[in-house]
Amino acid sequence: MSEYTVVGQTVARVDAVEKVTGAAQYGADVHPPGMLYGKLVRSKYAHANIRSIDTSEAEKLPGVRAIITQDDVPSGRRVFATDKVLYLGEPLAAVAATDPDIAEEAAELIKIDYEVLPVVQDVMEAIKPSAPRLHGDDTKDGPSRREISGQIRKLSRDKENDHTDEISRLEAELEKYPDEVYYNISAESHTEAGDVEKGFAESDVVVEDTYVIPRVHQTYMEPHVSVASADSSGKITVWASTQGPFAIRSGIAGTLGIPLTQINVIGTTMGGGFGGRFGVVITHVPAVLLSQKTGRPVRVQMTREEEFTDGRPAPGCVIKLKTGATNDGRILAREALAFWDSGSVSGASIGSTIRVRGVYKIPNLKVSAYGVHTNKSGTAAYRAPGAPQAIFAGESQLDEIAERIGMDPVKFRLINMREEGDEVPAGGSEPKVGYKETLEAVADAAGWWDREADRNQGWGVAVGDWTNGCGPGGVYVSVHEDGSVRIFHGSMDITGTDTAISQIIAEILTVPYESVTIRRGDTDSAPYSTGSGGSVVTFTMGNTAKLAAEDAHRRILELASERLNTNVDNLELKDGKVHVISAEPPKSISLGELAAYSLSTTGGPIVGKGSFARQASTPALAAQIAKVEVDPGTGRTRVLKLVASQDVGFAINPMAVEGQIEGGTVQGYAWAMMEEMQYDENGNVNPGFVDYRVPTSADLPTVESVIVEVPAPNGPYGAKGVGEPPITPTLATMANAVKDAIGIRITELPIKPEKVVDALKGNGHSA
Amino acid sequence: MAKLPVSLTINGDEHDLLIEPRKTLLAVLRDTIGLTGTKEGCSTGDCGACTVILDGKAVTSCMVLGVTASGKEITTIEGLASDGELHPVQQAFIETGGYQCGFCTPGFIMASKALIDENPDRTEEEFRHALGGNICRCTGYTKILEAVLKAAEEIRTTA
Repeated sequence: MSEYTVVGQTVARVDAVEKVTGAAQYGADVHPPGMLYGKLVRSKYAHANIRSIDTSEAEKLPGVRAIITQDDVPSGRRVFATDKVLYLGEPLAAVAATDPDIAEEAAELIKIDYEVLPVVQDVMEAIKPSAPRLHGDDTKDGPSRREISGQIRKLSRDKENDHTDEISRLEAELEKYPDEVYYNISAESHTEAGDVEKGFAESDVVVEDTYVIPRVHQTYMEPHVSVASADSSGKITVWASTQGPFAIRSGIAGTLGIPLTQINVIGTTMGGGFGGRFGVVITHVPAVLLSQKTGRPVRVQMTREEEFTDGRPAPGCVIKLKTGATNDGRILAREALAFWDSGSVSGASIGSTIRVRGVYKIPNLKVSAYGVHTNKSGTAAYRAPGAPQAIFAGESQLDEIAERIGMDPVKFRLINMREEGDEVPAGGSEPKVGYKETLEAVADAAGWWDREADRNQGWGVAVGDWTNGCGPGGVYVSVHEDGSVRIFHGSMDITGTDTAISQIIAEILTVPYESVTIRRGDTDSAPYSTGSGGSVVTFTMGNTAKLAAEDAHRRILELASERLNTNVDNLELKDGKVHVISAEPPKSISLGELAAYSLSTTGGPIVGKGSFARQASTPALAAQIAKVEVDPGTGRTRVLKLVASQDVGFAINPMAVEGQIEGGTVQGYAWAMMEEMQYDENGNVNPGFVDYRVPTSADLPTVESVIVEVPAPNGPYGAKGVGEPPITPTLATMANAVKDAIGIRITELPIKPEKVVDALKGNGHSA
Repeated sequence: MAKLPVSLTINGDEHDLLIEPRKTLLAVLRDTIGLTGTKEGCSTGDCGACTVILDGKAVTSCMVLGVTASGKEITTIEGLASDGELHPVQQAFIETGGYQCGFCTPGFIMASKALIDENPDRTEEEFRHALGGNICRCTGYTKILEAVLKAAEEIRTTA
C-alpha cells in the first residue's frame, strides 16, 4: 500500500476534456483577425547554384501582400538560401497572401534560375574524395590516421630528443591509410577506455559487422506551424507549436537582432514533438518577417510533404562494430566507427555513438564517430537522440556473440550488466539502477524462460538505456479562499506532464487532485522554463513543483500558527486541513479558511514559489521482448507478442507511464520494420504517408507494458523521465526476433518484406 | 475564383455559404465556420485526423470538396457531446488514456463513433483493421483500442 494518496495513482489528465472535445487550441487553430497565410518557396533541386530569383509575376497576383527573401532579413542571419541550395525543399523566399491557395499559387509563380550541381546522398559515398563537396574545409582523419598523426605531433613537440627516424617511419605508416581521409565531415567525436586491441586478443570470440540505420521522421501528427503578429510598436507575438517557447523567443531575438522583451511566445497545445519541435527558423522566423513586412498577423503552416522535405528528422547512420568476448560470456572489448548523416548542416547525434557500450561492464572500449554532409535537410532530436541507432548495433551484435558461445541472450546480458558502484566505461561509476530487475521482469512477463516457437517463429530480446535531462524551471502555487489550488508555470505539457505536476502539488498540500488547476503562461508572464524534451519535464518541473508546494506548505503552517495560537511544531497539514497534533477535542482549520484569513494578514496571500535548475539524474533501462512470425514466401513479419518493461523510478501517473512505454515501443518497432526516408539525386522521394508508412492499429498487437520502480535519488518521489527510454531497444528487439525466426541476421534497417525475401534467397542485404 | 452557394448542416446548425469550389470541407469547417476541432494532419486522406461524419459515414474531410457536401449533414467533434454530457466514446478515451498529444484524437473519436454506430459487436481485431485509416503517433494504439472496445461495450449495453 502506497504511503501516498495522489502521486502513484492513475488519474485522468488535466487536459482530458479539451482534448476529446476538440477544444484544445493547437498552432493552426489560432486565427487572429486580418490574418494572412504564409507559404515558403522551396528549392526544386537537391544541390544547385541559384542564379536569380524573380518575384515579379507573383507580386502581380491579386491577394499577395508580401514576398520576402534573404534581402529582407535585417540582421543578415541566414533564414533563406541565397546563392546556393543544398537540399530539395530548402527555403528561398516566402509569400504572404489573403488566402492559403493564393499564397501557394504565388509561390509557384516565383521564377528561380538554378544551375544544377552533382548530388551525394549516401554517407559512405560522401566521405570519398570523389564526392561532391557541400561545404569548404571539411576533411578529417579516420581513427588510424588520427592516432598516428597524434604520435607524430607528440614526438615533434619533444625538442630535447631526436625523433627524426621515428617520425619518418610514422609518416610512412600514415600513407598506408589513404581511405582514412574522410571528406564532407561536419563533426567528429572520439572516446576511449582501456585497450581494445588487448581486449580482442584475449577474447575467444570476436564478431564484426556493419549496421545501417535509416533516417526516419518524428512524424508528430501536427505539422510545424506558427502565427506571428507584429504590432505598430514593434512588439512581436508568436503563437508557436513548439517544445520550447523560451528557446524560440531567444532564437527569434538572435536571428532578428532584437531584445527578448520585444517578443512574446505563446506555446500552443503541441500535436506531438518527439524532439523535432525545437527549430526556430523552420516556420517561426519567416512568419515574424512576413508579419513585420505586412503589418498583419501571418500564419505559416507546413504541409505534410514539407515536413518530409524540410523537417528536421532523426539522422541515419552506418556503424561498424566489433565485439570480443570469452567463452564463459564476459565481454572484453568493443570498438565502433560510425558515420552519421547530418545532412546539409552540422548536427546529428554523433555523441550518442558511445551508447554502443550499453549497460555492460566492458573494460576496453573505443568509439569514433563522424557527422557527414549530404544533400538532405539537417537533422534534430528524435526520442533519445542517437540511442536507438547505436543500441541497435550494440544489442544486435550481443545476440550474435551469445549464439556463438551458446548462451541464452537474457543470461548473457545479465552476466555482463553493470551493478551499483561499477565503473562505467569512459564515464564515472554506476548508481543504483534496476538493470537486472527490468530485464528479469520482461523475461518473466513474456514467458521467456519456457518460450516456444513454431516453424518460422522467433523470439528476440534487447535492452536500451537512457538518462533524462534536467534544466531550469519555475513554478508558482496559489491557494484560494475556497481551498482550491492554482499552479502557474511556463513549461509545455508533453503528454501528461501538467498532470504529474498537479498530482505532486496536490500530494504535498493534501488536497484532492480535482481541486488543483494548472495554467501555462507565455514567455512574457511565466518564469523561465527549460524546453520539454530530453524526458526532462517530470524530473525538472516535478522537483520545481515540489519546492513550490513546500514553500506554500510553510506559509500555510505559519498562518495556522497565528490563527490557532500555537507553535508550528504542533501543527500538521492533512486532508486539506491544518490540525493541532493530538488536540482533544480535535482542532483544525481548512486551507480555504486559511487562504481567506491570509488576505487580511501582514504576510499576505498563500503563494509558494519553486525554482530549480539542476540535480544529477539516474539512468533508466527499457527491456523488451518480441515474438514474431515471418512468412518465408512474402517476407512479411507479424508481431505475435511485444512486451516492454522499464525502470521508471516511480510512476507518478501509472496510466500515463504505460502510455509512454507503449508509444515509444511502437515508434521503435516502426523504425525497425517500416520507416525509412528515401533519397535519390532529386532529394527525398517518399514525402507522404502512402510511401512513408507509419504503423496503424492494423499493424500491431497490444503492447504489454511492465513498470519497474527503482527510485532515482533526486527524482520527485524517485521518478525518472520516462518518455525516451522505450524507443531505445526496440530496433534490436525486432532484428533479434527476426534472426531467431529465419536464422539470418539482418543488419540493415528497416526489415521490410523484400529484404527478408532477399535474405532467405541468400542474395544480399544480410550479413 | 468564383464562389458557389452551399448549404451545410453542421452539428445541427444550418449554414448558407459562398465558397470557392477548390476549398475542401476541412478548409470550410476550419477557416470559414471556425470549427477547428477537426485537424489537418496530411491533406492527402492518409492520416484520418480530419475525420468527420457525413450523412452517417466517417469521411476524411480533406478529401471532400465543400461544394459536394452541400445539402448534407455533418457531425464534427464539437457536435458529439450533448447537453453537457460527453459521448461514451469521448468518455472512454479519457478513462483508458486513449490519447496523448490529442491531435489525432478528434479523428479517432469520430471514426470510432461511426464504426460503433454501424456495428458495436466488432472484435478487437476487427476494430484494429477498421481503424487502419487513422494514424496516432503517440499511443502505440494499445490504449486507443481499449477505449474503443470500452465504448462499444457501453453503447451495446445501453442501446
